[in-house]
Amino acid sequence: MVEESVLALQRTLVEAALMPDPGPLERDPGGFAAGRGLPPGDQAAFVRFKDRLLAYRHMVRSDLVEPVETACFVTRALMEQADLWDDCLAAFLASRGVQSAFYRDLSATFLGWLAATGWGLDRWPFLLQLVHFELLTVLVARHPGGDPPEGLHPEPKLGDRLVLDFPTQVVTYQYQVHLATMDAPVPPPGTTHLLAYRDREGAPQWMELTPATAALLLKGQADGIGQAALDLGLSDLSEAVELLASLQQKGAISGFAAV
Amino acid sequence: MSGRHIAPFTGVGLGLRSPHFEAVAQGNPGVPFWEIAPENVLCDGGREHDTVCRILARDPVITHGLGLSVGGFDPFDGEYLERLAGFLDFTGSPWHSEHLCFSGVDGSTTHELLPMPMTRAAVRHTVRRARELKERLPVPFLLENITYYAELGESELAEPEFLAEILEGADVGWLLDVNNIYVNALNFGFDPRDWLLRVPLDRVVQMHIAGHERCGDLVVDTHGAPVIDPVLDLMRWVLPRIGRPVPVLLERDNDIPDLDELLAERAQIQEAYDEVMAVPVATHG
Repeated sequence: MVEESVLALQRTLVEAALMPDPGPLERDPGGFAAGRGLPPGDQAAFVRFKDRLLAYRHMVRSDLVEPVETACFVTRALMEQADLWDDCLAAFLASRGVQSAFYRDLSATFLGWLAATGWGLDRWPFLLQLVHFELLTVLVARHPGGDPPEGLHPEPKLGDRLVLDFPTQVVTYQYQVHLATMDAPVPPPGTTHLLAYRDREGAPQWMELTPATAALLLKGQADGIGQAALDLGLSDLSEAVELLASLQQKGAISGFAAV
Repeated sequence: MSGRHIAPFTGVGLGLRSPHFEAVAQGNPGVPFWEIAPENVLCDGGREHDTVCRILARDPVITHGLGLSVGGFDPFDGEYLERLAGFLDFTGSPWHSEHLCFSGVDGSTTHELLPMPMTRAAVRHTVRRARELKERLPVPFLLENITYYAELGESELAEPEFLAEILEGADVGWLLDVNNIYVNALNFGFDPRDWLLRVPLDRVVQMHIAGHERCGDLVVDTHGAPVIDPVLDLMRWVLPRIGRPVPVLLERDNDIPDLDELLAERAQIQEAYDEVMAVPVATHG
C-alpha cells in the first residue's frame, strides 16, 4: 500500500530542489505546494519553512554538481565564456537523470546526459569528446578491473596476441581535446589517438599515440601482433615489438599469449 | 558472516576517509574500529580502493550506508543489496546502519538526506521499508536520526515520538547521533536532554559524534569542524543513561585535517568516554 500523502510530499520537495527556476517557491510557497495537490496543512508548512526549503534546494544542487565541476574544469571554463555553464547544470539537474547510488558516477551521468540530449552540441560539436577526455583518467584510475587471464608472458612475440590491462583505454577523438586548457578551452580540430592506462603504481597516465600504434593496439588483440603489423603495413616489426614490450612494462598491457 | 571481528565493538572509532588511507594502511594507529560507507568502496577499483580494502580486511569495521533511501518509495535494488551483503561479510561488520530519511523519488536520487514527513502515514511506510531491509540484510539493521532543517509538510508527531514509533514498529536498533540532536535543538529551539528523555534509549546500538557550523541563520551538520564541548557533554550525559558501553564514532567528512589531528580529537573523546564508563550508572546525575 502506497502512502500517497508521503509520496506527494517527497515529490514536491524533490521538485523544489531540482526545478530550474526557484521563483514559484520563493514567491508563493503555499501556492507551489497547493499546485502539487498538497492539503492546506502542508501548504502552511511550506510557507513557514520556505527559507529552509530553499536551503535544501541549495544543498541538493551543490551536492549534485560538485563532482561535475571538479572533474570538468575545462568544460566549465568553455561554457562560462558563453555564460552558459549554469544553464547547462540547471538543465542537467532538471532532467533528474541521476539514478546511481554511487556518488562517483555523477560525472559519467553528466556525460551520458549530454550525449542523450545533445545539449550544447550545436554550439560546441567537440563537447562530448572534451568531457570524455576530462573524465578519462578518473575512469581509468577507478576502473574496477579484474585479474588478467592466466598464462600471459611479458615479452611479446610476433605470433602472440596482446592483452590490454583491464582499465586501459585506446580512444580516438576528432579534436585535439588534450590540448584544451582553461585559458584556451576550444580544442583544435584534428584526429587524436590516446592511450589511457594505470601505471605499475596504480596512477592514471595517458599518452598520445600515432595512428599506426593505435591500430596495432586494437588489431593486435584479436589478429595477433605480427598479422596486425603486416596488415597495417608496418615495415619495422622489431620496432613494434619493442613498443609493445615497453607498454607492458608501463602497465598498459597485461601481457601476451600465443594466438 | 565471516565473524572476523566478533570481539565487542566499544570505545571511540573513526570514520575512515580517503586522505588517510595510505597512512592507516601502514598500521592501525590505535583506533578500536573504523566506519566506512559501502557506497564509497563497492564497484570501485584502483590503487585507493586496493588500499582501503587492505585496511577493511585487517581491522574491525562498522558499515554505515548513505544511499538506500529507507524512507523513499523506489524499490530497493536487489543487485545492490546482494553486493552490500557480500561487503558486510567481507568486513565482518556487526551491523549495518542507514539514515532515517529519503534521498530520491521516482527513480532519481539527490544524494542528500531529505527529511521524512513526521506523520503516521510516514511511520507506517518507513516501518515497512525498514522491516524489509532488516529481512534482506545478513546483519542487524540500525536507523540513524538525521539533522533536518525543515518539517516536510504538517507534522502529526514530534520527532522523538516519530523516531520511537519507527524503531519499535520495525524492531530495529538505533544509531544515536548526538550532534544531529544538538543541531536540531539549535535550529528548532528545544532542549536536547528533554528530547533524549522521550526516546527509547534501550534501542541504542551505536552513537555518532561530529562537528557542525553556523551558516547564516541556520546551523548545518557539516562534519567539517571539531566536536564542540556542548556536544561532547551531551554524549557524556546520555551514555550512562544508555547504561551500556555502546561504540561511539567520530565523523569528519569536510575540511578533513591531518590524521594526527583527528587522532588527537578521537583520543579526547575516548578520554571522556572512559571517564563516563568508569562511573557506576546509578551515580550519574
